[in-house]
Amino acid sequence: MYEPSTMSAPAPWFRRGATALTALLACCLETSAAVATNAPDAAPPPSQPSEAKASQHWAYQPIRRPTVPVGGHPIDGFILTRLSEHGLKPSPPAEPADLVRRLYFDLIGLPPTPDELTRYLTDSVPDRYERLVERLLASPHYGERWGRHWLDLARFSESTGFEYDRLRDNAWPYRDYVIRSFNLDKPYDQFMREQIAGDVLEPLTSDGILGPSLLVCGAYDQAGNAQANATQRAITREEEMEDLLSVVGQTFLGLTVNCARCHDHKFDPIPQRDYFRLKSVFDGVKHGERPVEGEAERQSRMARQAAAQARLNEINRDVAHWDDVAWQAARPRRPQAPAEPGPEAWMRWTFEEPGSSTNAMGEAKGGAIVHSGQLELPSAGAYFQSVPIAVDLREKTLEAWVRLSDLGQRGGAAISVETLDGSQFDAITFGERQPGKWTAGSDGFLRTHDLDAPVETAGPDEWVHVAVVYGADRWVTIYRNGEPYGQPYVTENPSPVFKAGAAHIVLGLRHHGGGSPWLTGAIRNAAVYARALSAQEIQAAFRAGGFGFSKEELLAGLTSEQRTASEQALVALQKARQDLLDASRPGPVAYAGIRVQPEPTHRLKRGDVKSPEEVVSPGGLSAVTAISSDFGLPADAPEASRRRRFADWLTDPHNPLPARVMVNRIWQYHFGQGLVATSSDFGVNGARPTHPELLDWLASAFIESGWSIKTVHRWIVTSEAYRQSSRAQSDALRIDADDQWLWRFPPRRLEAEVVRDAMLTVSGELNREFGGPSFRPFTTTDFNATFYFPFDRGDGEFNRRTVYRMNVNSGKDPFLDAFDCPDPSVKTPRRTVTITPLQALGLMNSSFVQRQAEGLARRAEATAGQTGANPILAAYQIVLGRSPSREEAERAETAVRQRGLPEFCWALLNSTEFIYVR
Amino acid sequence: MPAMLSRRHFLSNTAGGLGGVALAWLLSRDQAKAEARSGGGVSSAVTPHFAPRARRVVQVFCCGGVSHLDTFDYKSELDRSHGKSLEGKGENLGFFGQPGKLMKSAYPFRQYGRSGSWVSDLLPHLAGCVDDLCFIHSMTAKSNNHTPATFQMNTGFTLNGFPCMGAWLSYGLGTVNENLPAFVVLPDPRGLPAGGSINWTSGFLPANHQGVGFRTGTGAPIANLESPASLSAEARTADLRLLAQMDRDFAQNHPGDEAFASRLRSYELAARMQVSIPEAVGIDGEPPAVRALYGLDDPANKGFARNCLLARRLLERGVRFVQIFNGGSFGSPRINWDGHENLRENHDAQAATMDRPVAALIQDLKQRGMLEDTLFVWSTEFGRSPATQGIDAPGRDHHPSAFTCFLAGAGVKAGYHHGSSDEIGYFVGEDKVTVPDFHATILHLLGIDHKRLTFYHNGINRRLTDVHGDVISDLLS
Repeated sequence: MYEPSTMSAPAPWFRRGATALTALLACCLETSAAVATNAPDAAPPPSQPSEAKASQHWAYQPIRRPTVPVGGHPIDGFILTRLSEHGLKPSPPAEPADLVRRLYFDLIGLPPTPDELTRYLTDSVPDRYERLVERLLASPHYGERWGRHWLDLARFSESTGFEYDRLRDNAWPYRDYVIRSFNLDKPYDQFMREQIAGDVLEPLTSDGILGPSLLVCGAYDQAGNAQANATQRAITREEEMEDLLSVVGQTFLGLTVNCARCHDHKFDPIPQRDYFRLKSVFDGVKHGERPVEGEAERQSRMARQAAAQARLNEINRDVAHWDDVAWQAARPRRPQAPAEPGPEAWMRWTFEEPGSSTNAMGEAKGGAIVHSGQLELPSAGAYFQSVPIAVDLREKTLEAWVRLSDLGQRGGAAISVETLDGSQFDAITFGERQPGKWTAGSDGFLRTHDLDAPVETAGPDEWVHVAVVYGADRWVTIYRNGEPYGQPYVTENPSPVFKAGAAHIVLGLRHHGGGSPWLTGAIRNAAVYARALSAQEIQAAFRAGGFGFSKEELLAGLTSEQRTASEQALVALQKARQDLLDASRPGPVAYAGIRVQPEPTHRLKRGDVKSPEEVVSPGGLSAVTAISSDFGLPADAPEASRRRRFADWLTDPHNPLPARVMVNRIWQYHFGQGLVATSSDFGVNGARPTHPELLDWLASAFIESGWSIKTVHRWIVTSEAYRQSSRAQSDALRIDADDQWLWRFPPRRLEAEVVRDAMLTVSGELNREFGGPSFRPFTTTDFNATFYFPFDRGDGEFNRRTVYRMNVNSGKDPFLDAFDCPDPSVKTPRRTVTITPLQALGLMNSSFVQRQAEGLARRAEATAGQTGANPILAAYQIVLGRSPSREEAERAETAVRQRGLPEFCWALLNSTEFIYVR
Repeated sequence: MPAMLSRRHFLSNTAGGLGGVALAWLLSRDQAKAEARSGGGVSSAVTPHFAPRARRVVQVFCCGGVSHLDTFDYKSELDRSHGKSLEGKGENLGFFGQPGKLMKSAYPFRQYGRSGSWVSDLLPHLAGCVDDLCFIHSMTAKSNNHTPATFQMNTGFTLNGFPCMGAWLSYGLGTVNENLPAFVVLPDPRGLPAGGSINWTSGFLPANHQGVGFRTGTGAPIANLESPASLSAEARTADLRLLAQMDRDFAQNHPGDEAFASRLRSYELAARMQVSIPEAVGIDGEPPAVRALYGLDDPANKGFARNCLLARRLLERGVRFVQIFNGGSFGSPRINWDGHENLRENHDAQAATMDRPVAALIQDLKQRGMLEDTLFVWSTEFGRSPATQGIDAPGRDHHPSAFTCFLAGAGVKAGYHHGSSDEIGYFVGEDKVTVPDFHATILHLLGIDHKRLTFYHNGINRRLTDVHGDVISDLLS
């Protein structure tokens, strides 16, 4: 089914044929009639694009402060002028109750409570409306409502999309940043600047770090970025950059700069060169997480960590002293254990640089900590990743000393060599298929045999030496503490050649992309040998590791005083380790992207990565002539300066686009349609403004107000145009069915999130907790990729506002989906509105609606109990903000008598009157 | 023309869902009044650009990349070159970048039918259908990576967020049976394709064009289809009657706003879906011969046969586009055609699920005369390399530079072969076909000029075929 407004005949503008041009030209030009003719995110513009040169296009001209028509509210002056030109009259004022409901939904996305409504209606002060506006603008719910609009534009995703669609656990800080910014009425120029370059502005703030999450919160093709083929990798990156540049161009400038990736823009004066100048601005931005703590917080954390590390080092010296005493005492009892050097490794990690999470050969990740010669792996997610290997690895030996935090753990690995994407690996795994046993793990178990070997018994303080030897002849042998572990075997499949630059070593992780791949405990003295070690060499390596004596053997040589001192040192060690762990817990991180210094950017002929043309320098759009688009930066300018200069260019008050685009968006979210219908396309091919003078008045006043978004709300919602009735009038419908001249307030269906939030509000179940990690109403399974299985629960965090729902690409909620909640990866300037049977099914049958109906019935009963009123009356007041007519009341009485109050409440929640705002 | 079941048929011949029936009656009566007032109902089937050859489409999509060299594209030269180097053949687009030596097909090939089409021993059932099939041996894809390539095959673009072909058809052609979704997706019971429901998104098209993914396990095929178990049909009817009264009053009090009347109608359609969807998926009444044809009770197909039969039933009842996924994304052992490690082992296992049910679907459509105006599409995201993946390994890597898909039915030549790959199946030999060409041809068969099916989004009048695509007129019958 179609929304009637989308069923109308194609507008003349849409029929404009242009079929004679080539396919290439057609990219932005195929404007002939669609078979079915709806264009919900763009009502067609009212007039033909001008024949004048594109650079003369209205949107590129400076904002002119027009003269306000005489008398009354400035907005109404402009609106009335157009109305009378078209033989239309404004509608009478809306009923106060309708207006209050409209204002609540518009500003905070929630309905008023009956008390709030009554208080307003019985308030006799003349400025009661203005006071209500202020109260709502000051509500923290305001940011949740308007932040959600912004997240639509930002294509905010909390999963990667594409093949893996993995969760982004730390994307939510950007959502909170957006909500906070709206609530603070952060000046819009600052809001823009932060999202472009906040991380390179002085002083560095956590909001500054979070802002540029905008650039990377879309989909990310992890597989495409990790694959072996360089050309395809480059294409993947070009696609990623188009997504990034189009979000910048469309959101802030209302320009489809992405149309100029392969050729000069066919309508707008955007040469292909400008696309690549813009690309040069952002070429150093990559996907990934980064810490969000400000400089002061980081300093203090580092100081705490250093102190804990110093204390640990001191105790370690103590422990080492007693180890040495014990070792010296034990050696004479086992003279056959010489302190000989072991075989020479190809790569070795001893973790002897205290306090550092990196060393020359890799980096500790995910909460792994390097200290006192060991890699501490406190919890799932922690591991160490080496730099890519430098030469091809064929036959090999992997070796590590391991301390397991618990013997019940499954599937982690002490050491693994894997391809960069983790699709192929050889590893020493623990408890993967067989609980408690070591195995030679491999991709798809291709080179893995289950072993007839003892289960591990080492305690949480005991170090175990494990090694696996892969011979060229397909022999695989595992050793534990220098002795063969299980039977050596021949694999059916040869080990892959791990190619130089295409593989690395990970410690504590089986392989990237696997389920349950982490080992918890600690690792020390890990090594890789580029050859198959003999049994004797493994023995030597084991002995050289310094752990050749059992705990009992070591203790046996000590006096009882020495033993006590040694044990005390170990107790102190435990505590010091824990203190260091606590102090080293990394600060919060967010999916705000990482930065690299990019290579100079080339223009690509036809956008083809194999056809680089001249080098371009970072710059703005030359179509904006009022300010220079030349940043005076060389092609190899520092990454930070590129985005800083672009932020300056974007927020320059003489740049006519950002202010116009933003006031138009605000207008659109209030009236359902912008003064420019194509709110992310102000270009030549976009819609003309219906009220150009009004648009410019708003834009110039917006800048003068210090870019205050709340000020624009105040202007709009206090206008007569906003406060008029939404009733249709047949005369006016004939002249202007789409209400583009605003002869009435256009009624609107609530958006998906608002439907859900409003139901939770009226049922009394809404959890109003602000911010923080998203709630996840789904279970997941992981097998290389993440799959989502939504569930419905009505307790605790699951009753939070929908803006806090984990916004994953393939885990969409069927209920929200049916109400046109957009695909997270789509930049959505305006929601489509459909009316479908799937919506009706969701409202009729979903357990969510059933539960809210029951909650509403309980609330209506309770309200009635307090006031002595009828629960039906209470339910009408709560849900619709009005009393029933006598006929309605009688009908409801009958229904409640026959079917019960919850069933009647169900009907109220399904009703058109509830789902629509008037 | 197949005998389409009438709406009345559903309403009268269904034992279950009385509440729905009662409601349908109730609401249609109310709706008749509402429509009388507003001057007519909503017609959602839209006039195509020119006379269509096909009225509906069924697409089998084989996830993972089916090897053209081991199925339909016989290369005697590859037999001869077995063990030779790939050197000098040009850029290799393998995903893992470790091409070994050329490897002949794991299967013997034979010629079948009057057309003498070559098919390998892997697919004996489809081999029996070749005289109905129209092969394209010169397909090319943009990406060597599953998901972007799958996205391209489904949406025309390699990125997230673009509407898939079924959504375009729903948008372009509307539906002929409002009691069922216009676009139904049947995922493989073993698992979803990579990217899950992203594969049947309506992207920026309105949500009503989104593919409705049927759950293929137990329970209702779509979310919220069934009334709460605690409600009797009478009780539900009473509740809906109350709601209808409220909404009708509201619509009457707000004349001029057609959306309010449309909401009433959406409940009517919802009630009908409550009846028509369970009826459509109720395959229990299918005769034994049909069950046997699809191999419905054969565990080897792992539930895939049921989806093929279901597809025929949905098409019969007016669903515009049915997409059947063969294979999911990940599993151990693999549950798709991604034969990296051992081509033969992998393709043996996958063909056991796909061959017979798909052949049965083609035959069944043909027997019922539905192939006359139904377009059958068999596709995969890319082919597989003529060389091994790695030295001395028996697997094949991804290969987007040449592969095979086939069409059948409405408007296409039968027993026909369009285009070719080169002598070892590495690049296209003749008549290269891109994904936009493939899509343009499918739209053409449905009476749509692919250049004129557009939707404005963020500054661009978007098309399924982007700025590309030529109808492959050679294969039109």
